[in-house]
Amino acid sequence: MSGLPPVTLIAASVLLPLLYPLLAARSGWHGLLRAALPLLSMPALLLALLSVAPWTLELPWLLLGSTWMLDEVRRTFLVLTALLWSTAGLYAVGYLGAERLRRFCVFWGLTLSGNLGLVLAGDIASFYTFFALMTFAGYGLVVHDGSDRARFAGRVYLIMALLGEMALLAGFLLVARALDSLLLADIPAAITASNEAALITALFIAGFGVKAGLPLLHFWLPLAHPVAPTPASAVLSGAMIKAGLLGWLLTLPIGEAGWEVAGQFLMLMGFVGSLGAALFGVLQRDPKTVLAWSSISQMGLMSVLVGAAMAAPGQAVLLVPVIALFALHHGLAKGCLFLAVGLVLPAKRILRPLLWLLLALPGLSLLGLPFTSGELAKAAMKNALSTASNLPLAEQLPMLLQAATLATAALLARYGWMLWLKLESGSVAPSVWSGWILATLCSAALFWWLPGVR
Amino acid sequence: MSITALLPILALLTSLLAAVVIFALPENSHRLRTLVNLLAALFKLGIVAVMTWGVFRGVEFSVSFTMLPGVSFMLRADALAMLFAGLSAVLWFFTTIYAVGYLEDSPNRSRFFGFFSLCVASTMGIALAGNLFTFFLFYEMLTLSTYPLVVHRGTEKALQAGRNYIIYTLGGGVVLLLGIAWLHGLTGDLAFRETGHFQGSDPAMHGQLTLVFILLIAGLAVKAGMFPVHGWLPQAMVAPAPVSALLHAVAVVKAGAFGIVRVVYDIYGIDFAYLLGLLQPLAWLAAFTILYGSVRALSQIDLKRRLAFSTISQVSYIILGITLFGPIGTVGGLVHLLHQGIMKITLFFCAGNYAETLGVHRVDELDGAGPRMPATSVAFTVAALGMIGVPPLAGFITKWTMGAGALAAGMDWVVLVLLVSSLLNAAYFLPIVYRLWFCPIAGPWPAERRWGRLETNVWLFWPPLITMSMLVLVGLLAATALSPLSWAQLIAVRMYLS
Repeated sequence: MSGLPPVTLIAASVLLPLLYPLLAARSGWHGLLRAALPLLSMPALLLALLSVAPWTLELPWLLLGSTWMLDEVRRTFLVLTALLWSTAGLYAVGYLGAERLRRFCVFWGLTLSGNLGLVLAGDIASFYTFFALMTFAGYGLVVHDGSDRARFAGRVYLIMALLGEMALLAGFLLVARALDSLLLADIPAAITASNEAALITALFIAGFGVKAGLPLLHFWLPLAHPVAPTPASAVLSGAMIKAGLLGWLLTLPIGEAGWEVAGQFLMLMGFVGSLGAALFGVLQRDPKTVLAWSSISQMGLMSVLVGAAMAAPGQAVLLVPVIALFALHHGLAKGCLFLAVGLVLPAKRILRPLLWLLLALPGLSLLGLPFTSGELAKAAMKNALSTASNLPLAEQLPMLLQAATLATAALLARYGWMLWLKLESGSVAPSVWSGWILATLCSAALFWWLPGVR
Repeated sequence: MSITALLPILALLTSLLAAVVIFALPENSHRLRTLVNLLAALFKLGIVAVMTWGVFRGVEFSVSFTMLPGVSFMLRADALAMLFAGLSAVLWFFTTIYAVGYLEDSPNRSRFFGFFSLCVASTMGIALAGNLFTFFLFYEMLTLSTYPLVVHRGTEKALQAGRNYIIYTLGGGVVLLLGIAWLHGLTGDLAFRETGHFQGSDPAMHGQLTLVFILLIAGLAVKAGMFPVHGWLPQAMVAPAPVSALLHAVAVVKAGAFGIVRVVYDIYGIDFAYLLGLLQPLAWLAAFTILYGSVRALSQIDLKRRLAFSTISQVSYIILGITLFGPIGTVGGLVHLLHQGIMKITLFFCAGNYAETLGVHRVDELDGAGPRMPATSVAFTVAALGMIGVPPLAGFITKWTMGAGALAAGMDWVVLVLLVSSLLNAAYFLPIVYRLWFCPIAGPWPAERRWGRLETNVWLFWPPLITMSMLVLVGLLAATALSPLSWAQLIAVRMYLS
């Protein structure tokens, strides 16, 4: 059964953050700019939680004729995106200084609008538009502090992003030749029918792989994610990185027969990323850089799942929701871990153990401890992988997955250690505390909410 | 005389009369001149709007007189004519506003605006010309009326650029005339017709027709700024900013590109040109020019010079589009005729604003200009992103349509050219955007002027913002019936099906 599209809410979801930068036109509106930050993704959150999916909204006058939609997979991504941007926005209210506030808010709003819009997009032109908006506006967040390090990271980010965009454009153009519509939903079948099936698939794997931190396309990520202001790092590594994953889910021929080799390749690359990132990550001193490597490592696991869904088309129906679930779980946990880097030790010593406990929660969740969303995600992953027949690497899978858990543990231990060294006593604004606590609560509550979603 | 014959003449006469009146006005009657300018521009906009509506509904606007035996003067409005006429009417209006502000205190404004109007009249004539002879007449009138604009400043550099401009364009004109005369000898007077004239023609004539085609294209390629006859264009950017805007976006380079469109589609016919094997070499040349212009733009420090090389590259998109055999490629090329105009005029308006307000002419002087001139810089940024082909802006619609056209025509290599060109565009535009917004101000501006509350003169403030909104809207609303894309599709349908 499909619901009616709640048009006002949809429009507000995308337009509110898109038009929010207009507030920056006046120099006297700093207070308003700040206050609005956590509210920008509220319509999208309501849309994700309240609207009856699936719905489809036709906008034939927009771009090349647009279709926006929400299905269960998109809903999971929308929940993640909206939640994380809201809590990070709350955190940002108190975190940001007055300097360059307006510029930051402009890019924040534009990037958010792109990130939300691409989740809702159902056609190529809309998706590519929002994806580009997020990518280009995201540059402004990366280079925000203007240091040499940030500018270098920004340059690498932009060059890689442009190359990725070109790969996507070529892929979309090639697949459009075999398409009657421009609907994303028709792409997988069109790829299989196309003469350039392998080339198109490679272009999509690489184009979205840049965003998702696929090994060899990943090197911008540990540079760019940590240099951004902390709330921006959280959304970069928690939400925006997932746009690459969503791109894969929407465009790759998942569920089509004949893609065993590509699937195997993606699985292999996933494990390389998952394990290899740990080797680099444990050598880092900046806790945010350790986290960026951890993101590559975790995205590796999600790449394994995408690869598995391609290699075992019969299992795809089962695997895709698991991937979305994993993305939601990781996005929230990683967001919390990033936000924690900007905290301070409270003056009252009695509160410190509580702080460390809360700090540890999302980490434990990534490790898959009982009563965390990670437990559910890992169990679902193992279950889906073990029931898949004829999966490549089937023999080595348990061993590789254990190694990946070890890699995760090593990175988290390193992060904890570096955070221990970094955190000092002091004070931060209440909104920083509340943003972080709210994010942590969301991440922790996920375990109790998820079974309902499934 | 019926209304369908009257309207094309009126469209032409509006600017011609404006020119005469302005020449007659004394130098210091600033307000009256501005009024005449704007009224003429508005009036013409109205006429063009009515004609466009008529053409959409299938009305034939045409008028012709016999000049010499066998040679007639012919005005005719088809869908393609209205594409160019619409572009020039709309952009002329904003350029006029801009020019009024730009030349506020400079000498010889009467002369300037007189030739300015003549130049637009020529453009209108080129758009509405119904046959090659009429086209040529206005094509040469355009050359002569733009020369005084190029040398307007009267400096040594400007005169040098003007000399070069005249040599190139008159040279091109001679070659074009040769081609037209030869063709006339072969076939007589040829009106533009939507499927061309030579379908099923005598194979014995094919050799001569090929040579004539080469002459015609070579003559037109000069104004279109194609390699290797592009040399005048980067030099001509010494002209005042509104002239550059007109030269690069509306009149001169577009006249060349538009002429090539007319020759390929309406004289030879796309099927016949394809049959003769003439499209492929033209595609290669256009592709080379696209990459060449971009590569040269990379190393230009002068802002307007960088934009000029960018024009060389972007105009060849139009040529490349029409050589893609098939309706989708045609749409891509034609729609870029408009899109490039809107984007490039925005960029030149902005360049002019930086020059007039801050005294900035070089890319490396632009550090921190964004916060100082936010509206202009937003317009520049959006237009630059549009040039790169970032969705949902105008340039994306072009690239998408051309890419799809190339693939439909089996010319897959063109997609690679488009991608490389996009990357090169990014490489020479994004550093400017970066300087605008992310670099701190290096020191005092070379020559700063202030105008009250706005960041610049109000006449200079609005035109780039308006053209910027246009380049967003034509992309965002590409699927609506009134978009340039839909209009180009209408033209392509008529060209391939009628």
